[in-house]
Amino acid sequence: MISLLLILVSALFFVGIITKIKAKIAARKMPSILQPIYDVIRLFKKGAIYSSTTSLIFKIAPIVYFSSVLLAVFFIPFGGEAGLLSFHGDFVFFAYLLAIGKFMMIIAAMDTGSGFEGMGANREALYSMLVEPAFFILTASVALFTNNISFHELFAHFHIGSNLSYAISIASIYVLVYIAMVENSRMPVDDPKTHLELTMVHEVMVLDNSGFDLALIHIATWLKFAIYGSLISDFIIKSTWNLYEQIAVYLGVQIAFACLVGILEAFNARNKMNKNPQWIIVLSALAVVVFLTTLIITQKIILN
Amino acid sequence: MTYLFIIIYAISLIYFAFEERAKKFVWLLVIQGLILFGMAFFSLKEIEFFDFIFILTETVVVKSIVVPWFLNRVRRHNGLKRVYEPSMPIFYSVIIVMLGLIISFVLSNTILDNKLHTQFFTVAFASIIYGLYFIIIHKNIFSHVVGYLIIENGIFMLSLAVGSTIPLLINLAVLLDVVMGILVLGIFMNRVGDTFQTDEVNQLTELKD
Amino acid sequence: MYILFIILSIVISLSIFLFKKKNVTTILSIVFLASLVIISSYAYLNINKTDNIFFKYDSLGVLLSFVLTILSIATFYFSRNYLKKIDYHSRNVPVYYAALIMLITALMTAYFSNNIAVLWVSIEATSLFVTILIFFERSKVAPEASWKYLFVSSIGIALAFIGILLLSIAGSNDGVTDLSFDTLRNVVGNIDTLWLKISVLLIITGFSVKLSVFPLYTVAVDAKTIAPSPINALMSTVLVNAGFVAIFRTFTVIAHTEIIAWTQNVLFVVGLSSIFIVSIQLFRVKRLKRTFAFSTMEHMGIVALGLAVGGIGYYAVILHIVLHSFVKAGLFYQINRIHTTFKSKWIDDFSGYFKINPLGGITMLVGFISVTAIPPSGLFVSEFLIFKALFLGHRYLIAIVAFILLTVIIYILGKIFLGILYGNVPDKIETYKPNYLEHFLQLSFFGLVIYLVINPPAFFVDLINNAISILN
Repeated sequence: MISLLLILVSALFFVGIITKIKAKIAARKMPSILQPIYDVIRLFKKGAIYSSTTSLIFKIAPIVYFSSVLLAVFFIPFGGEAGLLSFHGDFVFFAYLLAIGKFMMIIAAMDTGSGFEGMGANREALYSMLVEPAFFILTASVALFTNNISFHELFAHFHIGSNLSYAISIASIYVLVYIAMVENSRMPVDDPKTHLELTMVHEVMVLDNSGFDLALIHIATWLKFAIYGSLISDFIIKSTWNLYEQIAVYLGVQIAFACLVGILEAFNARNKMNKNPQWIIVLSALAVVVFLTTLIITQKIILN
Repeated sequence: MTYLFIIIYAISLIYFAFEERAKKFVWLLVIQGLILFGMAFFSLKEIEFFDFIFILTETVVVKSIVVPWFLNRVRRHNGLKRVYEPSMPIFYSVIIVMLGLIISFVLSNTILDNKLHTQFFTVAFASIIYGLYFIIIHKNIFSHVVGYLIIENGIFMLSLAVGSTIPLLINLAVLLDVVMGILVLGIFMNRVGDTFQTDEVNQLTELKD
Repeated sequence: MYILFIILSIVISLSIFLFKKKNVTTILSIVFLASLVIISSYAYLNINKTDNIFFKYDSLGVLLSFVLTILSIATFYFSRNYLKKIDYHSRNVPVYYAALIMLITALMTAYFSNNIAVLWVSIEATSLFVTILIFFERSKVAPEASWKYLFVSSIGIALAFIGILLLSIAGSNDGVTDLSFDTLRNVVGNIDTLWLKISVLLIITGFSVKLSVFPLYTVAVDAKTIAPSPINALMSTVLVNAGFVAIFRTFTVIAHTEIIAWTQNVLFVVGLSSIFIVSIQLFRVKRLKRTFAFSTMEHMGIVALGLAVGGIGYYAVILHIVLHSFVKAGLFYQINRIHTTFKSKWIDDFSGYFKINPLGGITMLVGFISVTAIPPSGLFVSEFLIFKALFLGHRYLIAIVAFILLTVIIYILGKIFLGILYGNVPDKIETYKPNYLEHFLQLSFFGLVIYLVINPPAFFVDLINNAISILN
């Protein structure tokens, strides 16, 4: 319950902090942190317009996307306590929940019949496919390390002992940050600010959505950011601390994560399009190295 | 502690597969030299002062400072290209490096010889195989020398794997190898650059019948 | 004592390089050649003694050092003639002599080394000096061949080094590694056979670039195609002898272990593939030096076969490399004359050499007979012994295949040689007075080869028998 509340709270402010940091670095005038909330409220008040080439899919896709992300939020543990839902192997379910949402968005984008949106859908599908092994291998290595297979127990027993497990957590956080950037279509894979359709990936998929649907999509984006932020904070928070310390560290990690995303976005240029797959597969390679490290630590590979 | 350096070395191999720019290659060689120093330093059982100075010289001074400086000088002096595209897409190279690392770790797991320090054997083997692969997919002389240096790094780690006190002779031999290769490279880059207008290796095919 | 020799050579070489005066070079070269003679004799007199842990004057080393001394004297003489046309004060010529002296020193060190790491270091050094010498001719293909040679040779030798490291696992107790051949022979029974096999395979592959056999033969052949002729004479003879020494000594290390049969099979593959490749490639060569380079490869293939089969093959192998050194050297010294006469390197341009230079023609003819192992050439005896050993060892298929391939090679070589010697003289050939001393020297090499088999001196036979005594 606490984790749900915390994620919802941090989601509200996440994108605002990113924008603020970017503006500050670029020495521009900063919008207010609550600006994304005002935008969403404005969108809620509007009606949606549906193109005549679209079908039912286009209408239900944003709702499915939003609900899948919301359902995924329920699984995230916090500081030793399980999320609202938890069972063995739930991280696989979690990954595929997010994938269902993404799938609905992709076919909705292709439903509109627009060439640009189809192109964006292609790219989105490719990048998600390439980043999926990274996520699974990473989670698998943490699962191997702690010998448990549900999110809650994974993080509850994740003790940091020898300096190799420090290496694991640092490498995992590094890979998770970049996975978050890829999944949320941020630099260096996709530039959210560009409006050249040929270079967009995620933004171009939602070009035809409006009003209520667009608002749902925005909120889902915030929630996804907050999900990854909580996963990162789960690596850091120990279950032995008391509640207030945990909440404080959690909020600190979320703010730090948001600032980090902002800094990475401000200082990175976006990759050339054909370099993206290579860049993403490097994440999987790093995840494989983390996995090998875990194998060494847990003595599945015996080296002298 | 040496495991940490081994993992960082494996990550540096992945970045070798990912990079295309000559400058980045040289930087990665510098980092690898420093990693080798860390490995050697933490793995020796007892360190005599003279041996320590020698290892310090070989890894930090030669591999991390002198050789990269020389490579950069050759690069600037001959106006070499900034980007060296390999002939196999980087996507597949990264996957091959991953597979190579997995194979070498699994292989060291199956070796039950207790005279061999298999922790070093893992990345040594992966490094030698990747160095050969690097030479095969790149078609210009600069990358060939970089690949050769990767192989030499692998051999250095193999010599660590084989004995815990490093006999002076073996390291002298490796040092001679590296220094010789680099010096002659420098001389050759000047000549080859003058004779042909390029440093692509597929220009060097006149001797075929 | 041996260290003194090395220091003396380094000093001589540096002096030649720094002073760059013709008189200095001549005097110091003579001093160097004298020191070569001295060290060979000293080694013969102190046979089987170790000197300074790293060097041992064993019989194989002594035999090959005699060959090296004789060929070095000849090379210096022919180099002088070769370089007469070049202005002395261009900085190349002192470099040539300095590198040549260092090359010969490194080769001598390789022959006498008792420690596998010292062997490796000296062979690595020979790569470096040979590359400097190959690059001497500054033609358009010189950078190509010398770069490729140095690079692939370094990689090959790095592979051999990995093999040596794996071998040294055996020699290590508590991390102390003693890599002398005697120690290795004693402790090699302790290693897991898989490691031993991998290490032997890597060492053979790595040194195959020096021995110019399959698999890493291409750069050796390319390098011999463009090196200056006197250097070529050294490269095809004493340098491949150094490769042979490396492989032979490794072979003696594992000769009494259980992987000997596997190693013999490897060497059979290496030998047969080399001869097969030569028989195919020789149809396409267009340069005379390349022909001779491939011929070296063929002879080394036969050597590999002999080493693999054992028995009397061991004796024949060492006889073969000694004789082959002299024959090849004689041939290469003659090539320079052919090139300058016809002013070209392409075989198609050569014809009618007998009419132009009868003495040279006779030398070439005798050389052809010697190198294709037609009696009374000495190589006939050693090849005969190798085939006899093959039949005695029941390796009928290998022997028959080798026979057929050798016949093909003789056919091609005959076509090339007779095409050069007979036929119409092309226009615009300048006649000149032949240098009788040169031709006499080359003919004497061929004569030496014949003499060494018809009436071998006792010390020669003893040396060979001592060298192979370890294997029996």
